[in-house]
Amino acid sequence: MAAYIVRRLFWAAFVVLVVTMLTFLIFYVMPPGNPAIRFAGKAPTAETIAAVEERFGLDKPWYEQYGIFVKKLVTGDEWGWPGFGFSYDTRVAVRDELIERMPRTIFLAVGAAVAWVIVGVTIGVISAIKRGSLLDRLSMGFALFGVSAPVFWLGLVALFLFADTGGGPEWLQFLPGTGYVPFSDSPKAWFLHLILPCLVLALLYAAFYARMTRGNLIETMGEDYIRTARAKGLSERKVIAKHGLRASLTPVVTMFGMDVALLIGGAVITETVFNWQGVGSWVIRATFDSNLPVVVAVVLVGAVAVAVFSLIVDIVYAYLDPRVRYQ
Amino acid sequence: MKRWRLVGIAALVAALAFAVAACGGEEAAPPAEPPPAEQAPPAEEAPPAEEPPAEEAQPGGTYRVDVETSFDFTAGFDPTAEYTAIGWGFYNTLIRKLMTYRQTVGPPGNEPLPDLAADFPEISEDGLTYTFTLKDGIKFGPPLSREITSQDFAYAFNRLANPNVGAFGYPLYYEVIEGFNEVADGKADTISGIETPDDKTIVFHLTKPTGDFLFRVAMPAAGPVPEEVASCFSDEAGPYGRYLISSGPYMLEGSEQLDVTSCDTMKAISGFDPEAHLLLVRNPDYDPATDSPELRENFVDRFEFRINTNADDCFARVKANVIDDTICGETGKQIKEYTEDPELQDNLKLDQDDSIFYLSMNLTQPPFDDVHVRKAMNLVMNKTGLIRAWGGPAIGDAATHVIPPSMAPPDLQGYDPYPSANFEGDATAAMEEMKQSKYDTDQDGLCDAPECKNVLNIMGNLARDKGMIPVIEESAGKIGITFKTRQLDNPYEFIFTPTEKVPFTGTAGWGKDYADAFTYFLYLFDGRTITPEFTYNEPLVGLTAEQAKEIGIDYPAEGVPSVDADIDACIAIADLTERTACWGDLVKKVMEEIVPWVPWIWRNSSIIVADTVTKWDFDQHSGHTAYTHVAVDQSKQQQG
Repeated sequence: MAAYIVRRLFWAAFVVLVVTMLTFLIFYVMPPGNPAIRFAGKAPTAETIAAVEERFGLDKPWYEQYGIFVKKLVTGDEWGWPGFGFSYDTRVAVRDELIERMPRTIFLAVGAAVAWVIVGVTIGVISAIKRGSLLDRLSMGFALFGVSAPVFWLGLVALFLFADTGGGPEWLQFLPGTGYVPFSDSPKAWFLHLILPCLVLALLYAAFYARMTRGNLIETMGEDYIRTARAKGLSERKVIAKHGLRASLTPVVTMFGMDVALLIGGAVITETVFNWQGVGSWVIRATFDSNLPVVVAVVLVGAVAVAVFSLIVDIVYAYLDPRVRYQ
Repeated sequence: MKRWRLVGIAALVAALAFAVAACGGEEAAPPAEPPPAEQAPPAEEAPPAEEPPAEEAQPGGTYRVDVETSFDFTAGFDPTAEYTAIGWGFYNTLIRKLMTYRQTVGPPGNEPLPDLAADFPEISEDGLTYTFTLKDGIKFGPPLSREITSQDFAYAFNRLANPNVGAFGYPLYYEVIEGFNEVADGKADTISGIETPDDKTIVFHLTKPTGDFLFRVAMPAAGPVPEEVASCFSDEAGPYGRYLISSGPYMLEGSEQLDVTSCDTMKAISGFDPEAHLLLVRNPDYDPATDSPELRENFVDRFEFRINTNADDCFARVKANVIDDTICGETGKQIKEYTEDPELQDNLKLDQDDSIFYLSMNLTQPPFDDVHVRKAMNLVMNKTGLIRAWGGPAIGDAATHVIPPSMAPPDLQGYDPYPSANFEGDATAAMEEMKQSKYDTDQDGLCDAPECKNVLNIMGNLARDKGMIPVIEESAGKIGITFKTRQLDNPYEFIFTPTEKVPFTGTAGWGKDYADAFTYFLYLFDGRTITPEFTYNEPLVGLTAEQAKEIGIDYPAEGVPSVDADIDACIAIADLTERTACWGDLVKKVMEEIVPWVPWIWRNSSIIVADTVTKWDFDQHSGHTAYTHVAVDQSKQQQG
């Protein structure tokens, strides 16, 4: 298993490198126009544009720029390690801004993940057990709604109904509105501000997970070994929890790992709707503003997150399914 | 059977629920597109916003403002290079200059008055020398807390000339100072044309008479800058913005903690996070005795400007009194809501902000290289339709020439060289004009040459751009011109680059730098500002054959008209009335002989404020809230 993990880590590093190179090509090489013009002042002259290009390193061939980027990534730059450079827009070190924003995105992702696993798996299990019942149909109706409703709409409705700045019934407005409050400022306010965006983000995923859990569990409960377990006299609860659920959750685990990893790159829409000031809303604006170091840094972080979580998922998978063994 | 009955009941209930929802109630989510703006009453019918008497304005409190998505600073809030209106609005609280404005609405808000200067300057007979004397008792705020001297102003101008810093702002306005260009070109370290014989006196020697020089020294870049701090940031424009030392009534929160022992010990002031907030508190070193309430009243104790990525939330918060003011892009939806609801009307502040939007025609690209085509476009264009696409009459008034009415002489009031009923275009007159064009080969009033078809039109991607496109195409179609429209996220990369040879754009606008038409003519119609890499002069007025060769475009056989000499003549006039009259004559020349644009709206600034605001004024100079003339009722403020 250790050898497997080491091999996977090397492979992950290679994949991340390829991702950054592709990102470079997509954002630095392919687009028409010169991003330096945008940052060269009110009336850019050839001199100011050249000065910006030199400052931003855009005067070098793209492969040289990429080489410098990788080198600084490994060795660090004047702002520390890893060396992500500075934001073209604000001249703030990308690393510093990333360190400030990443916890907000992580809180959002983890909070939503906890919510959607609890809600989604629970609904899925109940639905599978009570298959065909009214409860099952209501659950799947909820799942259909969750899958169909756009996240931005859900967010706006949630703010309208439950936020104290919304226009809904006053008796429902018991949560604060948008914005992020640091934990150090007020743990209570931090938590209260986290509720709505987490639930809104979780709803879509909960719907998927409910459907997937239900389908997998129904299929698993039809297996021979389940019948054997029942025949041996185990309680239905034990049959489901110990035998049925464990087997049916393996694809859910795989999906969970990938979903959380992708959210680390920023739940863009949720962050924008709730003014969450995380990584997602930051990178979207950077994309439109041609703020390339920010884009590349966030893509890199996202790629690393996917690679790491993919490895974690595989390890957990091996634990859940004893038939899986890595050499 | 029992199960199917249950299913049927459930389906019936669901159907009834949908029917009820469809028949009544409002959508939970706001509509994606603004509602038809023709339902909005015209701005002039809205009851005048009544300002509460000044006695009700109480000092104290925090003025809270949401800023949509980003501050969008162009130079990191470094005053030497920052040229955004939002930045200039903030600087009114932080930076005092030799001259400043009242920060009020209308023409009084555009008149420069002495600020740190004790009085208006002595101006020599030939108009080439300006001598300012500084007031006593004027100081920089913490951590410096020292007297401001004439050397601080001299340093600010040297910083303006620094090619690494000032070049990113608006150095064109200061090239008239002797020796400025030598510093900009790296041939000198200091500007020879600025003298500081003592700490209280600063003398400017100009290379030519410059009638609007007082406006130029009223700009934020001309405010005093402490060399002991800013010299750490002389390699590039931007970083100094996070270490800005106040000379005004307010300062960045946390300024007193800035360690100025050396460049290495300095850490960015906590009150300004470019990605999140700008927090201002009172400057303890500001002496109101050196100022006047006419310029600054400074009611509030603190300002909080915070980024909000959700525009709808911005407006929800101001309505809920969680914030007091907004810098969020009001759309037709908000304008309509606030103009139609009597309880909200007073919260919507509409003021003409001296900006103009126009359709630009490239004089070197067919069919717009023919003046008759350009005139026909002016005659046929449905300006009312364009305004409706943007949100209706509350957004602004139909523009009829190239400068804002506030900068125009009296004889230009009501001037419209291409009139039509209700500004909806006159196809008949347009076709008569088109008949004179070489592109109307059969002289039937329609542009029928191949150059008239599928003309490239570059537009932005905003909702208003989408709404404008059918109006432009329908109007132009009446004279036989068809467009191939391309909408881009960043159209300016192309329309400002002459080498792209964009023949037409509907996404163009301009706002003043100060209330003299020079700030329009310099950037928009002066051929000397055209370079292959960049120009705001999209029509390429004044382009020379040499420039055309450098850019790589064919120079029209008939040449390209120029107004460079006219601009030089007008700017040299010292007397404001005479100079304004000169600009007025130039406007007529541009509109009647050159015709580079179809100007279509003189825009209103629209700002929504909360019920918490007990005093509010519009800063005509920056086009934003006059932050030094606002007050709040703290008892009405809610927490978010």
